[in-house]
Amino acid sequence: MSYVLTTLTKKREVDSVIRDTIDKVLVLRFGRASDAECMQLDDILAKSAREVSKFATVALVDIDSEDVQVYVKYFDITLTPSSVFFFNAHHMKMDCGTADHTKWIGAFRRKQDFIDVVEANYRGAMKGKLIVNCPLPPERIPRYQLLYKDM
Amino acid sequence: MAENWRGECSNPNAKTLVPGKQDDSSKKNKKKKETGSQFEFCTVCNLNHDQGQRHKYFPSHKKSLSACLSRFESKLADVRFFLRNPAALRPEHASRNRFWCIFCDVDVEELGSSFACYYNSSNAINHLSSVDHLKSLKHFMWKYGGGMDRLDSFRILDADVTKWRKKCATLKKEAALSEDRCHGPLSGLSNDIHREPNIGIVDHFEDNYTVYPLKSSILNGVTPLQYNTNEQQILYPEIAGGPNAGSLPTKLVSSNASLHSADDSNGVEGNVHSGAAPPWLDSSEHSLVDYNIKSFSVNVASHSNKLEKSRKLNPKRVGAAWAEKRKIEMELEKRGEIAKKECDSGWLPNFGRVWQSGSRKESRREFEMEKQTLLKKETESEISKEIQPYISKRIRKDAAE
Repeated sequence: MSYVLTTLTKKREVDSVIRDTIDKVLVLRFGRASDAECMQLDDILAKSAREVSKFATVALVDIDSEDVQVYVKYFDITLTPSSVFFFNAHHMKMDCGTADHTKWIGAFRRKQDFIDVVEANYRGAMKGKLIVNCPLPPERIPRYQLLYKDM
Repeated sequence: MAENWRGECSNPNAKTLVPGKQDDSSKKNKKKKETGSQFEFCTVCNLNHDQGQRHKYFPSHKKSLSACLSRFESKLADVRFFLRNPAALRPEHASRNRFWCIFCDVDVEELGSSFACYYNSSNAINHLSSVDHLKSLKHFMWKYGGGMDRLDSFRILDADVTKWRKKCATLKKEAALSEDRCHGPLSGLSNDIHREPNIGIVDHFEDNYTVYPLKSSILNGVTPLQYNTNEQQILYPEIAGGPNAGSLPTKLVSSNASLHSADDSNGVEGNVHSGAAPPWLDSSEHSLVDYNIKSFSVNVASHSNKLEKSRKLNPKRVGAAWAEKRKIEMELEKRGEIAKKECDSGWLPNFGRVWQSGSRKESRREFEMEKQTLLKKETESEISKEIQPYISKRIRKDAAE
């Protein structure tokens, strides 16, 4: 399914995507295309990319690529797949009731969930908010355990 | 990769939904109980609310209030015009001259005005200068938080009223003088049909074509007087022009200001009986059409402006300034004025890290520092990893010698 969406392997490419997406939410998925959960997420992303195309862009970033490690460290990506949301080169945080507000970890259950999340991000961004609340109920949010820093 | 949620972490930044929820709802309940006042009706917002005195400070109320007051002010603008330029009142137009005074909750009409007050908006002027109106105005402003410094824009001051009355009096005198001079039975200022001399006009109506000046002419300011050789015509004095001996032909025109120009050209020529075309069809047609077109285009422009405004992106949105800059850059790049510059490899987007407390710049700084320490470690390890070939002692000795 990553044939439909652009896969980025270089920092330069990621930079250009972030800088060129103006007034639209940018969803950057960090993960490995061969991983099962990642494949699930990619499937959902590919199917809904067109539907949200008016207010969002979706791009995939390969975590294994060397060039991108800087971003992997900067965004603190430890569990895959992780999706980071940007709006006008500013990072959008989302409070899903999990420990990590900076990204979405895991896959989405349904297309509609993804669309709702992106819409929530867009609405918040248009109002000038850097952190938005997640519109999904807790049962549809994938749970994980976050290790403490420096452990 | 996703694991089960085990418990809260000690990160102060993380939010937990469950315990927080109850607190919020209880706070809300408390707030509701505190207001506890009865429902009142706000005439400005046209709704019932139980917010009591607080309601008048809410932004929605403030918006509706300002809209309301500006509407009233525009209605008063007409009245103020007549205050400065008193003009004779026509009974058929009197019905158009009423307005609803929002402060007194009363309809102020011109119909049924007394004999002495037959000037345009005289009723309105009297009402707006009255003490009762001032009282209700003050009460309204207090109740709806209108701002007590703006009171004078919603009423007419006594000084202005006296000036207006003087002007009316002079007009009246002049009209009376001209009336004496006129052949015709009527050159009085009013169309008051109750007045005895006016009855003469009614009789003459069959014979003569009497034309009356209209309010619209006032709106346009000064109108040149036109003389008609037709003796039968009996006319009323124009406001700005003042009464003249002789008759003034003026046509029955609609209150469209642009049509007034038509009067000037056609006035001398004829009237219905002489077979002339009505002014609104003749040369005025162009001005009328132009006026319509102009007003239409103005409306369209304003409408499209409104649409454009609503389509404009919120300037408060996230990264708005950056987006504008970037758009301009891209425009220029497209046109080829600026060479597409590759962003430097050190560029990082605005990101707030997970364990960060403080602004996002902090997180970037942290990251930069981490990067540097990492680099140092790497270079150090590289240096230490340098493998050197083994040189035997004998050779070393020889080299030293």
